[in-house]
Amino acid sequence: MAGGTIWKGYIHFGDTNVPVKLHTAIKEERIQFHLLHSRDHVKLRQQMICAYEKKAVPDEEQVKGFEVEDGKYIIVNPEELGQTAPESSRLIDVHEFIKTEQIDPIFLDRVYYLEPDIHLKGYNALVGALMEMDVEGICTWTMKKRSYLGALQTNGKILRLNTLRYADEVISVKSLGLQKIPLSEKELKIGSDLINQLTGFFQPQKFENEHQKKLHTLIGKKARGEKIAVLLPRRLKPTAPDKLLQALKASLKKVA
Amino acid sequence: MGNSRSDIDTGEVLFKQGNKMAVQGIWSGTISFSLVAIPVQLVKAVEPGRVSFRMLHSKDYSPLARRMFCPEEDAIVHPDEIIRGYEIRPGKYILITNEELESVSPQRSRTIEIVEFINMNEVDSIYYDHPYYLVPTKGGEKAYRLLVEVMRRTNKAGLAKFVLGEREYLVAVKSMGGALALMTLHYSEEILPDEDISPRGGEIEAEEKSRIKKIIKKMMADFSPEKYADERRKKIMDLLKKKAKEKVPVEAPQVEEEEGEGPADLIAALKESMRKVKMKR
Repeated sequence: MAGGTIWKGYIHFGDTNVPVKLHTAIKEERIQFHLLHSRDHVKLRQQMICAYEKKAVPDEEQVKGFEVEDGKYIIVNPEELGQTAPESSRLIDVHEFIKTEQIDPIFLDRVYYLEPDIHLKGYNALVGALMEMDVEGICTWTMKKRSYLGALQTNGKILRLNTLRYADEVISVKSLGLQKIPLSEKELKIGSDLINQLTGFFQPQKFENEHQKKLHTLIGKKARGEKIAVLLPRRLKPTAPDKLLQALKASLKKVA
Repeated sequence: MGNSRSDIDTGEVLFKQGNKMAVQGIWSGTISFSLVAIPVQLVKAVEPGRVSFRMLHSKDYSPLARRMFCPEEDAIVHPDEIIRGYEIRPGKYILITNEELESVSPQRSRTIEIVEFINMNEVDSIYYDHPYYLVPTKGGEKAYRLLVEVMRRTNKAGLAKFVLGEREYLVAVKSMGGALALMTLHYSEEILPDEDISPRGGEIEAEEKSRIKKIIKKMMADFSPEKYADERRKKIMDLLKKKAKEKVPVEAPQVEEEEGEGPADLIAALKESMRKVKMKR
């Protein structure tokens, strides 16, 4: 079942409004650990410590500062910050439509399901139009005092809203300072052949989160007082640059 | 790393600190496909566009640091004395060491082994979770370059699983602008079904659909994310500029740096592994 309704509003474009309800689409379950004090197994909590007094500071003595230069801050109070919150609105404002596949996955944040609200007419027609034209809508909206950028899309059955990261949040590849290293056509050819050989269909159901189960097993063993064999992580030996072609050839032979 | 950034628990919107953080490794190990092994580091690919506030003490304007604290002893706990516990019943914990945790999947905690390649356009966008970059470490530059280039040419992405902290991630590694981008993916069991909210009945009305198509046609464009900015962030920056003109900034007292024996770093490491890659929002 989809998650509960978290927001209600209207998709707005041209002179059209489509009423929708927003639902979460993802549910992650993971094992929760706590941090304990090893001496007495007391559960620890995080505490803000004053760097000057070296003492814990209660909430009411904490303020927010923006560092303008080393060690110098502008203090901002919660009321002032509250005033920067975007005006609340019920509109998912579609600014333009683009062909699907134009958005690099690096921009994609989380997906919400949109459920039709009140009536189906506009909703159904929009699903059909997006599907047939193979497009998605770039939109903005305000939810929980934050402004969002997103893509309005369909999977053929329902409408979805995929939140997008803002362009200035994406770190550029340039800043990684990668070197250009020449490769021979032969290396590239064998490398490409190898990848094509190893290509299959994306079948996400094949991949289970086995780790969670293994963690449960580990916890169970420890609870029963069994001894745990500690295995050291192995590091693979890197392929030396002058052995690359050889490794590629051997790989291709193995899969062919 | 500053450890009192207020975005951790308040959800406050913060500002990015330039690209200095970008090269900080989150993890180091090897990425492999078939018989080729490439030493790499995992680094951030996105920096939440949040204006970075620092929490200060209102009495002396000294910055605050987040530390683990024992409520029983009313004292800060040294990182060497912190251990992970799983609660089996209220107040009763099973202790798990880092070594035991790594033993769960020893082969996957240092290696991202690409088990197969896929066409990236087969991946429904609902699977994408969080992006990172991989950068080569010493000796891996050439093989890295090769993997970038052949995945670009073939337009394929590699699928792998690897373990970081307490979680095992399903990831897709793809070529992006000359680098390897690593996207963590959701497991299919984490994706909620949408049948219960799908529209029931109600045919698509042809007239309404063609009306909508006409509007869409007029609104077609190319994706250019630079056009859109976070309005809230702009307002916060304006507020800060205004305040900077009106008021002299407060000054924090001088403190000697914390000794390098590591409480800060280890704590950060522990916190990282707890939070690790929750790594977002």
